[in-house]
Amino acid sequence: MSDNAIRSISLQRPQSNRVPYVLAITIFLLLPWLPINGFYIFLAQTFFYTAIAVTGLNLLLGLSGQMSLGQAGFYALGAYGSALTSLKLGWPVPLSIVFGVLIAAVVGGLVGVFALRTRGLYLAMTTLAVGYILDIVGQRWISLTGGAMGLSGVPSLDLGFPKMSSTVFFYVSGASLILVQLLADFINQSRFGRNLRAIRESEVFAASVGIEVSLWKAAIFAFAAALAGLGGAFFAHQSGYVGSDAFSVRLSIALLIATVVGGLGTKIGPLLGTLILMVIVEVIAGIDKYGLLIYGGILLIVLLAFPKGAAGIIGSLAQRMSGQAQASTLGDAPQHTLALSDAVQKSDELALPKQQHSHTSLSIQGISKSYSGLKAVDQVSVEVKPNTIHGLIGPNGAGKSTIINMIAGIYRADEGSIQLGDKDLSTLKIAERANLGLARTFQNLQLIEGVSVLDNVLLGIAHKQSYSKDFATWLSGGELERDERREAFAILEFFGLAHLAQRLPTQLPYGHRKLIELARAIAQRPTMLLLDEPIAGMNTQEAKAIARVIKKLRAHGITILLVEHNMEFVMSVCDTVSVLNFGKLIACGTPAEIQNNPEVIEAYLGTGAKK
Amino acid sequence: MELGNLIQVLSGGLAMGAIYALVALGLYITHLTTHRVNFGQGDFLMVGAFLLLLFRNLGLPLGLAIAAVLVILAVMGWLLDRVAIRPLDRKKDTLIGAYSWILTTAGVALILQNVIELGFGKSSQYSAPLFSSKRDEVVQVLGAGLFLEEILVIVAAVLIVGIFYGFIFHSRWGKAIQAVAFNPEAAMLLGIHTSRVKVGVFVIASVLAAIAGVLIGPIVTINPHMGLVLTIKALIVAAIGGFANPVGILIGGILFGVFESLSNYVDSGFGDLYPLLAALIIIAIKPSGLFSEKHADVR
Amino acid sequence: MKARFKRNIWQAALVSAFVTCAAPSLAQVKVGVIQGLSGPPVIVDFGESYLQGIKLALKDYQTAGGKTKIELVIYDDEANPQRAVSLAQRLIQNDKVPVVIGTVSSGNVLAMAPILQKAGIPLMAGPGIASNITTQFINEKPSYIFRCSMVEKFQIDQMLDWGAKTFKRIGLVHSTTGYGNFAAKEIQEGLKKRGINLVAIEAAAPGVNDLTPQMLKLRDAKAELVLNFHESFELPFRPLPRLNYKPIIAGNWGLSSLKVLEIVGKDAIEGTVMGQALDINSPRAKSFDARMQKEYGKDYRWPVVTSLGYDAAQIVFKAVDQVGKSDPEAIRNAIENISDIQAVSATPAKPFSATDHECLDYENVFLGVWKNGTVTRLQY
Repeated sequence: MSDNAIRSISLQRPQSNRVPYVLAITIFLLLPWLPINGFYIFLAQTFFYTAIAVTGLNLLLGLSGQMSLGQAGFYALGAYGSALTSLKLGWPVPLSIVFGVLIAAVVGGLVGVFALRTRGLYLAMTTLAVGYILDIVGQRWISLTGGAMGLSGVPSLDLGFPKMSSTVFFYVSGASLILVQLLADFINQSRFGRNLRAIRESEVFAASVGIEVSLWKAAIFAFAAALAGLGGAFFAHQSGYVGSDAFSVRLSIALLIATVVGGLGTKIGPLLGTLILMVIVEVIAGIDKYGLLIYGGILLIVLLAFPKGAAGIIGSLAQRMSGQAQASTLGDAPQHTLALSDAVQKSDELALPKQQHSHTSLSIQGISKSYSGLKAVDQVSVEVKPNTIHGLIGPNGAGKSTIINMIAGIYRADEGSIQLGDKDLSTLKIAERANLGLARTFQNLQLIEGVSVLDNVLLGIAHKQSYSKDFATWLSGGELERDERREAFAILEFFGLAHLAQRLPTQLPYGHRKLIELARAIAQRPTMLLLDEPIAGMNTQEAKAIARVIKKLRAHGITILLVEHNMEFVMSVCDTVSVLNFGKLIACGTPAEIQNNPEVIEAYLGTGAKK
Repeated sequence: MELGNLIQVLSGGLAMGAIYALVALGLYITHLTTHRVNFGQGDFLMVGAFLLLLFRNLGLPLGLAIAAVLVILAVMGWLLDRVAIRPLDRKKDTLIGAYSWILTTAGVALILQNVIELGFGKSSQYSAPLFSSKRDEVVQVLGAGLFLEEILVIVAAVLIVGIFYGFIFHSRWGKAIQAVAFNPEAAMLLGIHTSRVKVGVFVIASVLAAIAGVLIGPIVTINPHMGLVLTIKALIVAAIGGFANPVGILIGGILFGVFESLSNYVDSGFGDLYPLLAALIIIAIKPSGLFSEKHADVR
Repeated sequence: MKARFKRNIWQAALVSAFVTCAAPSLAQVKVGVIQGLSGPPVIVDFGESYLQGIKLALKDYQTAGGKTKIELVIYDDEANPQRAVSLAQRLIQNDKVPVVIGTVSSGNVLAMAPILQKAGIPLMAGPGIASNITTQFINEKPSYIFRCSMVEKFQIDQMLDWGAKTFKRIGLVHSTTGYGNFAAKEIQEGLKKRGINLVAIEAAAPGVNDLTPQMLKLRDAKAELVLNFHESFELPFRPLPRLNYKPIIAGNWGLSSLKVLEIVGKDAIEGTVMGQALDINSPRAKSFDARMQKEYGKDYRWPVVTSLGYDAAQIVFKAVDQVGKSDPEAIRNAIENISDIQAVSATPAKPFSATDHECLDYENVFLGVWKNGTVTRLQY
């Protein structure tokens, strides 16, 4: 396959797809004028604002992997915020709605910050408790909220056309949904989505590519809360009535059900899920005896049989109908990739500019780390000179990975200091160290499994444009992050992996995945690279190719510290080597010096062994 | 507050706290081993309470009725694992993967509520005391009147926690559970039948819920929707206790129950809010719970 | 691309389905019913009982040979005001009913009523008891909102009359919801007017399952009469044996449910007083009671609520029959002018007028007392 052909197929452009929007907008504009009865308009309005709330939850759970069982609380904040300011303070309704959204967003952000310390089940419980508490407050603070009797007479959203209020409401809420959908699509396809997915994969990993995880987590929480608040605000103005019984845990669970049944993490999932949920609710309105049975049954069936939700069903149906393989696989691609060694021979250019700060050193002085009484690292000092490759070796359990993790910022050293160049790293968080030019790979290989190889590499590339410019580009149909994608593609070409750009990492063999991780680390344009077992699982030829790559990186001005078990590799690649045993440094010097050091030999082979 | 009143309030709190602890123990043991819990644990308790009501109305002697309830709920626990939890293991790589058990077990809970409603109606029901034929047999303790069942549930909870502690930390089965909890693959290699252990803990959790359901009946009015609040409170208790240690959970449950009762006495209008807020604060300050050690994040 | 295309075909299909679904009008008259049939048990008890009455009334109407065919369209509002509003819209615009009966939670009634008033569809509210349900609309010309149920204010007034006369030390336990707080305010003001102060006021959360702390404080305050305005009607009774405390308990009609009798026990509930509108000793009530037992067996659990549902439906069906077609305005007028109702409850033969849309006025409400497992009229 010619290089250009590879390029053009592989570089799938993420851009806004106009057609479905145009169709949807046309139908939407015409709907109130069609001869259908008013109840369906009412249902459509309900669909619009509920879908907005579900979209928020979809982004929160589907992209960033954070569970919230308390969205009803934010919905309530939006509803009460908007209802009270318009009813009691006489604000114009659009302003009240904005206020409702803001309140929800602020409280959502606070909960997000609070919830940073929890994850998994604890996060679910915390959000459940928060939703519960907000429900109780709504019920008890009667002077403010009217409790279960509620607030009536909330002004309707008619923008000055009282006779057409339901049509006006229809258009405003529908237009809002379209806007929200646009935003959600953009988030999905852009750097936002990628960073959130990285956070979901592993927070440590995300931080190591420079993502400020706490900020992002709190921000997406606030955004999801804001969307729930927008839904609630619209709800308040639809019927002019807000009562606390509407905001119980059941609403939170209903929103979650809609998110999952529609297809978590997909673009049309929220729309499908809301539609399905509303159909179920209307159907069981007349059969109260079996309502819960139907609800619970559908939940079970969807989760057990169709975990990808309605969107997944439609997706596979569509695939089957068009008879075409998924765009993420290239059916005609050659079975064997270009041999790695050939690839590396072919392109000498790494497409990396010379580093400005190409003389970064790493200085580790007397660091120690203990776990539960076990001293994993004991007063180790290592000097990595600028522009050199330094190896860190030792028997299993010697503390090598612990040291790498301490340099990267995952663990805090009990004592000692770590300096990158002239910067002291000890107080810096993982992401801050990454942003100083420190990149790393992981022993257990960290990639985002659900996105393409190209997107994985993109994760490492610094953002060139602002987000608003990105949005403008995307809206106008242009290609998102074009320069970044070209750069990422070039890096993949260097590794001979360009034709795999659109594949998913799960589909690839281990050796390729390791290379992709290395590509991502390089994409970060590091001045200091930490490699944790870079050739584990590779054969001799591949290892030799990697060795060549690493030497090339050194030639580009990058300083490298690597941990490895393979002696031949270490000796052939490293300029200097430090040897650890039982957490202590036992030797440091050139490969030749190390090989003849009796302590080192004893550590590896035991006493009495003769070379 | 005079002594009599204090004892009165405390005993109510102890009894409810014991119930919370029993339910939370079930959550603890399943979370320990499988990192999942039955979100319908409170609803299992509800089913236990209603089943006991049914069997006694049918005229069964008490012992037989209780045994029947325990057996049925054990079977339900087994079914739950097979239907709502085990199939999810195969779907780990889908997006919802880490949380699908919340929704599947919640789905089962909804179905259970509906089934009970169909069988018993949607109203609240009265569940007769276990050991007396009169409605209001009361034991006087230091100026406070206690229902026999309240004393019983406290004793039962302490006993069960003791048995649990011995079971998990000093028996072969318990060691198997700990092994699976720590590292399922390694446990398998050691010859431990991990899937049996995993089913086993769900069965144990359901039996615990059954015991709580049998004991709670006389203390409160039972209705088909009582489960969710109990599940939430039990989750909170387990989180405070740290999901780590049965004794910690018992203490957490009792603390929660007593705090709840005291704050209802002091501020009857908003007393139910304070325990929730306090629990949230505790989880914020010490996310791993009051009684567990912080595990280092070893990669 | 294909997936998106699919979605748009779906959208088009849905729209055409909507268009063809606009129902043609039928010859018979539909009566819409919105009730709380799922959710908290106390709501369900109210909703199911009222509905039992409505259904029996329909049966009687058909046996008596009503000329107009009547069909009930029944929806469950799940005690959720969002559902109530949505169902009201559905009944008005989709099912096109000319009259609606419902619902339990007063909040839901207040959410639906403005919509029905605006659309010109008469609402027979019930069993919701908030005092302002009809008064809020009575000055509309005309008002479409009627109610056939207890009015909270009237129950409280009657109870305070009796309480102030009979007891010196009165205590109150109420829930912290709108219902409970409103009752508490009314009671305090009402007692003050009668020259009495409460010896203790205790509040409790609606979902709590034990009222021991509250009853403890009421005992210590030596309250002889405890006014019970908490939604879980049976809760104040349960701690009493523990506390060795036997006050008289009085509350709203919630205390007359057979379910409460079952839970609390015949002995414990003896002497409890509540608002009532059904004199079980009257002949019509007796035969009604017997027929309900035959029809519903153990499911029949609340004579007074059921009787009001029956009477509400009677009125509506009669009015519909008089009008003969699906004409909301005419039905409204017919309801307002109806004058020959043979009510089972204390509803008079001519319940409404242009200025009064309540089935039960102050003088129709009385107090009942549990005696020997039945609720009879309290003589005082």
